[in-house]
Amino acid sequence: MDAFVQLVILGLLAGGVYVAVGVGFGLVWGVLNIVNLAHGALVVVGGYITWQLFTGFGLDPFLTLPLDAAALFILGYALQRGVINRIIRAPLLFTFLLTFGVNLVIVNILLLIFGSDFRSVTPAYSGQGLELGSVVIPYVRLASLGAAILLAAGLAFLLNRTRIGLAIHAISADRDAAQLVGIDLRHAYAVTYGLGAACAGIAGGLIAMIQAITPTAGEPYTLQAFVVVILGGLGRVSATVVGGLAFGLVEAFGQSIPGSGSVFANAIAFGLMVLVLVTRPQGLMGRLH
Amino acid sequence: MIATTDSQRRWRRAFVIAGAIVAGYALLAPLTSLDVAQSANIPLLADKFWFRIATYIVMFIVMASAWNIIGGITGYAAFGNVAFFGIGAYTTGMLIAKAKWPFLLALPLAPVLAASFAALIGLPLLRLRGHYFAVASLGVGVALGELVQNIDYNGRPVFGGASGLFLPIYAVGHRGLFFFYLMCGAAALAIAVTWWVLRSRFGYGLIAIRENEEAAAVLGVNTTAYKVAAFALAAALTGLAGGIFSQWNVFINQDNAFPIEYNVQMILMALLGGTGTVFGPAAGALLLQLLIQFLGGSLPISLDIPFVSSEARPIIAQVILGLLLIVVVVFVPRGAIDFFGGRTRLSLAYLRRSLRETSL
Repeated sequence: MDAFVQLVILGLLAGGVYVAVGVGFGLVWGVLNIVNLAHGALVVVGGYITWQLFTGFGLDPFLTLPLDAAALFILGYALQRGVINRIIRAPLLFTFLLTFGVNLVIVNILLLIFGSDFRSVTPAYSGQGLELGSVVIPYVRLASLGAAILLAAGLAFLLNRTRIGLAIHAISADRDAAQLVGIDLRHAYAVTYGLGAACAGIAGGLIAMIQAITPTAGEPYTLQAFVVVILGGLGRVSATVVGGLAFGLVEAFGQSIPGSGSVFANAIAFGLMVLVLVTRPQGLMGRLH
Repeated sequence: MIATTDSQRRWRRAFVIAGAIVAGYALLAPLTSLDVAQSANIPLLADKFWFRIATYIVMFIVMASAWNIIGGITGYAAFGNVAFFGIGAYTTGMLIAKAKWPFLLALPLAPVLAASFAALIGLPLLRLRGHYFAVASLGVGVALGELVQNIDYNGRPVFGGASGLFLPIYAVGHRGLFFFYLMCGAAALAIAVTWWVLRSRFGYGLIAIRENEEAAAVLGVNTTAYKVAAFALAAALTGLAGGIFSQWNVFINQDNAFPIEYNVQMILMALLGGTGTVFGPAAGALLLQLLIQFLGGSLPISLDIPFVSSEARPIIAQVILGLLLIVVVVFVPRGAIDFFGGRTRLSLAYLRRSLRETSL
């Protein structure tokens, strides 16, 4: 029983990171119909900003999160406005290839700047944790789960309660009708992608505190984000939260199977995804259109 | 179909002749390395290095042509075809290294196993469309590579594990020459299969599926069977390339048998050359692979990039490749073959028009 509780806690904590990685990806996919293969690279950029501010200026890593978000929002806005907007009406393969190209450029520029060494962010409190019986929960992981939930809540608020959020809903529902009622499509698209990138940046900051990062570490995050969004169902932030936590749980339990270990993380994730896609294509929480 | 004008016909003829000259040179140059040619004082046109690069290029011709069958003709954006390459490589590799089969007996099983696997996963996966199919197939590729590297039996890796699988060197005179021509045979097969598909009832069914799957079903096309057959056909050809690669390279592991970047490269090649055509993917493979080798500095003709140290060079090459990918996708969405084929002329107006069609 104790082992079971421990696995649940570990799974939910890991799920927090997946929520953070998933929400931005789900937003861009759901609204812009772009599967953003550069998402993982944006996550890593966020991680490096946090690392740089922590080692360079001694800033507390949690305080760097808003700066990650701001920097990535600007990068994402410019990227969408300058490049991706230009092929938004092309077949889906093109957005795939385009975002893969963006991914290649970002990853290799990071390699040029930071090299391929692993970097980690270790504030003074990183070794401490909350003791619950035999289980020790690191404060950093607990706080990052909290931050991820806050991020999702903030994003949901922004989408449902603000003017730009309603505009994003409108372009998601019907692009041409949205243009008719006076929404500046280019701006709204760029803001949406910028928000997705900002979420990726925060996710990157959180990840840098939990595990070491390297420029090429982004690809698994893109794939995990995809699985998380599919698991929950496309179109709502709350569904992604459920998907992320569920994914964390599945992974924790999968890794506890004797003989499998963490080496099959991707295989478990994709097996699960294919299973969900084939049996319940709308996701755990999704509604069919 | 647009009526062909004289100038278009001239362009196309010039393109075909140029292609034939390139292909002829590539096929004949290796023969100068034979002892007979050397003793007759014919200059050596192809050294070991040439063979390696040329065989790589031809390998990509096979893979891009194979992708074209499922991605270009059927319109299903397969993003995980490298899985079939890996299956082919490991089938042949395991049979030779562990079961001691001779290479020529082990090779035919590579496409068979790859096609069977494709048919098996194709049944559930090909029910998905668009992004879902693309990423689900990508997932299969990634997961398979991981499984192959990590499966243990009684504590020992079944497929060579993280240290990879070593094959005995195939005892044949002129190894470079042998594998180059073998790969060329695979490429010829891939192109011939594409040519046949495009002219068969089967191919018309696939095109109907690409254009409108529901309508195709209404017209009596058994869409499931057609899609799975196209997927398996693409897998068989890709698996064949993998099987040849494993014996040619003598060593396989997760990194060289399941490289994720091949997925993108084969698609980009097909797009660059023109999807749904017979020779487009081959032309795209030649262009892109030459460019990759050139940027990586492994071609005999090399250019020093100013202000770049030799360590940073491969990284810069990747950045340039990424930028090129972006430029091609944004400006030439219909493939470069349109220019060579004489269907359109490369002009500012063309670029502006294709930009307007796709942008917001």
